[in-house]
Amino acid sequence: MREYGSFPWIGSRTAVWIAAEVHLMFAAFVLGVPMFAVVAEAIGIFGRDERYDRLSKEFTRLLLIAYSATAMWGAVLVFFLTTLYPRFWAHMTEIFEVSMWIYVGLFFVESFTLYLYYYGWERWKSGRAKIGHWTLGILLNVWGTAVLFIADSWLTYMMSPPATVTPDTSPAMVQFWSAFANATWMPINIHRLIANVVFGGSVVAAYAGYRFLSARTDDERAHYDWMGYVGNFIAIGALIVLPFAGYYLGREIYEYNQQMGITMMGGFMSWLWIIQAFLIGVLFLAGNYYLWVGMGRIPGAERFLPYTKWMLLVLILGVIVWSTPHTMIADRAELEAMGGSHHPFLGVLGVMSAKNTAVNLMILTTFLSFLLYRRANRRPVVSWARSGTIVQGGLFVIAAAVVLFYGVYGYFVTAIVRIGFSVYQVLAVLATIVGVIAIDVAMLRGSESRGAIRWGQMPPRSQYALFVLVVTFTWLMGLMGFARSGIRQHWHVWEVMRDTSEWAATPALGYAAQIISVCVIIFLGLIAFIFWLGGLVEKPQLVPKSGDG
Amino acid sequence: MWGTNLRILAVVLGTIGLYTLLANAIPQIESEVPEELSFTGDVSPEQLIEAGQELYEGAGGCTACHGLGTRAPNLLLAEADQGPIGARCGERVPGEDCKAYLHRSMVEPQAYVVEGFQPIMPDVSRTLSDAQIWSLIAYLQSQGGEVTVTAADLQASEDAGQDTAGGAAGAATGSATTDPIQLLAEMQCIACHRLGGEGQEVGPPFDGMGSRLSPEEIRTAILDPAASISAGYEQFAGVMPPNFGSRLTAAQLEALVGFLAARE
Repeated sequence: MREYGSFPWIGSRTAVWIAAEVHLMFAAFVLGVPMFAVVAEAIGIFGRDERYDRLSKEFTRLLLIAYSATAMWGAVLVFFLTTLYPRFWAHMTEIFEVSMWIYVGLFFVESFTLYLYYYGWERWKSGRAKIGHWTLGILLNVWGTAVLFIADSWLTYMMSPPATVTPDTSPAMVQFWSAFANATWMPINIHRLIANVVFGGSVVAAYAGYRFLSARTDDERAHYDWMGYVGNFIAIGALIVLPFAGYYLGREIYEYNQQMGITMMGGFMSWLWIIQAFLIGVLFLAGNYYLWVGMGRIPGAERFLPYTKWMLLVLILGVIVWSTPHTMIADRAELEAMGGSHHPFLGVLGVMSAKNTAVNLMILTTFLSFLLYRRANRRPVVSWARSGTIVQGGLFVIAAAVVLFYGVYGYFVTAIVRIGFSVYQVLAVLATIVGVIAIDVAMLRGSESRGAIRWGQMPPRSQYALFVLVVTFTWLMGLMGFARSGIRQHWHVWEVMRDTSEWAATPALGYAAQIISVCVIIFLGLIAFIFWLGGLVEKPQLVPKSGDG
Repeated sequence: MWGTNLRILAVVLGTIGLYTLLANAIPQIESEVPEELSFTGDVSPEQLIEAGQELYEGAGGCTACHGLGTRAPNLLLAEADQGPIGARCGERVPGEDCKAYLHRSMVEPQAYVVEGFQPIMPDVSRTLSDAQIWSLIAYLQSQGGEVTVTAADLQASEDAGQDTAGGAAGAATGSATTDPIQLLAEMQCIACHRLGGEGQEVGPPFDGMGSRLSPEEIRTAILDPAASISAGYEQFAGVMPPNFGSRLTAAQLEALVGFLAARE
């Protein structure tokens, strides 16, 4: 069997890279959107709020037209793999053939469930039929998640094959389940599930932003302003928990193979995390900016505006700390110039104690932004409102204190102890988020309105933040894909099947960035075109232009 | 409308451009593929050193840990007045010369872990060929010491590899013994597992193992150490070699399982 094919101009590796990345971007969108579409439909049904039902249908309409593009790019990827990497693909199919058949079957089931879900919307819109329709939405998520989990098993096997598999092991002798449920399978599943929601929310928000900017009537503007807000809320809300899933994945990679973990965080990929920190900083800043500008259309929000400058300060300081380089590969001249293996000043900020503290405070700040936004036009009527607010404030202070305490204490203990501190920091932040939300929900039950949110009265500049968000999320997805795949270095399957092609070397970040940018442009260009086509066919039903949100 | 479209396009392309520029402005490091080496019988120390240096600084990936001196000893700088690695390697283990010590550090890295560091070094024979390993040793010896690696070392490794490939019954331990104590010593198990109160505790102690694990669990732990990590040893996951299944005969494996299951 020939080992490798050849692709003109860009080479085999880049051809597969682009096909895989663009396929993944579409797949993330079509797997993420059903999750919040079905939640929006549930809010519509059980909250008797028809706006959410219409919103859910519009989400699903975007989904429907993006679906075929996902399948097409998937087919391109499979054909590229079979023709350009036949030896590797034969290895994979010999181990995973059964799961590949199931995958194809699920794809059929998922597609037809989606068709029923969308085209049955108006037919099954009330009573028990509506519950049945909603069940279809749940099934759509079940099939989609199963598809995701199966595909994840293939790519995680490449990263973390079972330790019993060696270069001499025949693929036929590899136990299917040990290859399927390998060391990084579940961490990737969880990370991708959350990331897909983030990504889907940001694409929907950008779509709404575009429709807002091109709206001709106030009703249209109000509808898309609200849709943009919901999309952004979903994206940033899920983003807040994503770093925790990232920690879990990173920890499992280290536990699987220290060398792989070191290559990822401190080897040739170490600079990648500085770029990642910058991008996530942009996400936090743009997401918060959108919320703060959005407060301008909420009566009563003006009382919170003075706090925004302090929140901005925390976010900027957090980004600076998080982006500080520390453990980088340096040559002898660079080491001498720094006076050691670390910069004498920046080295203090670049350690994990400082970075974990920074990111946890950024998450707390962003959560505070959401809370203020949510509270802006509400006046609680419960007798314990003041006490409740004080307790909420206390929870924030306690969480910040715990984060800072362990951040500082981390400088005085060994690395292995310090790693454990991040768990306490994360738990403090998560506990505060859960506790504050629980109090808020109870406290605002039956609350008075300070005035309806003026949907549609949003400055156009706010919508451009939504475009920055979607570009950044998409680019970040490409960057993290490069990190996950690149840490295998010159192995198709880590320490089992060596890449002996002319493209075996893992490129530097500059080249990777160019390919990622090409993928982002292809994806955004295609999805804009697809959405435009969808808009020609059907106009959405608009929601009322004002409401309490 | 066109104005809006152009502004959106400018924001999108501007953001993409900014990230691309940023990623190109930082130091560019490519992960190279270790170049396969082939030396003749008259290879000179200089040739070995040159090849080894290229590997050490590039595709070998050594500098990710050894370059900093925080994860692993910095091999090129002096340590505790003993000079760089070429000068201090002969003093590390009594009775073991520099060349033997460096070779063992690479293919059995858990056999001797420098105090103050974690046992995170991988067995480089999984990723590098014998010629690459010997050229690395030559380079490290050249850092303050005398290069003693010769073509004979490469030839000996090659012969040993052929013997193993065509060897009997897959027993790569070098002996056919089924004496568990001898096997534990040959396989370097007690370098990481305490037995009779002796040895390091990188992995769970053998003492009392029979009361904690069933024979089946012990067998699985030997053949597939990543399948389950004992509580308290998570940071050392991945340290235990996963290739005992191919290094032990069935009789040797069962002898070990029986011995360990009896440690109550």
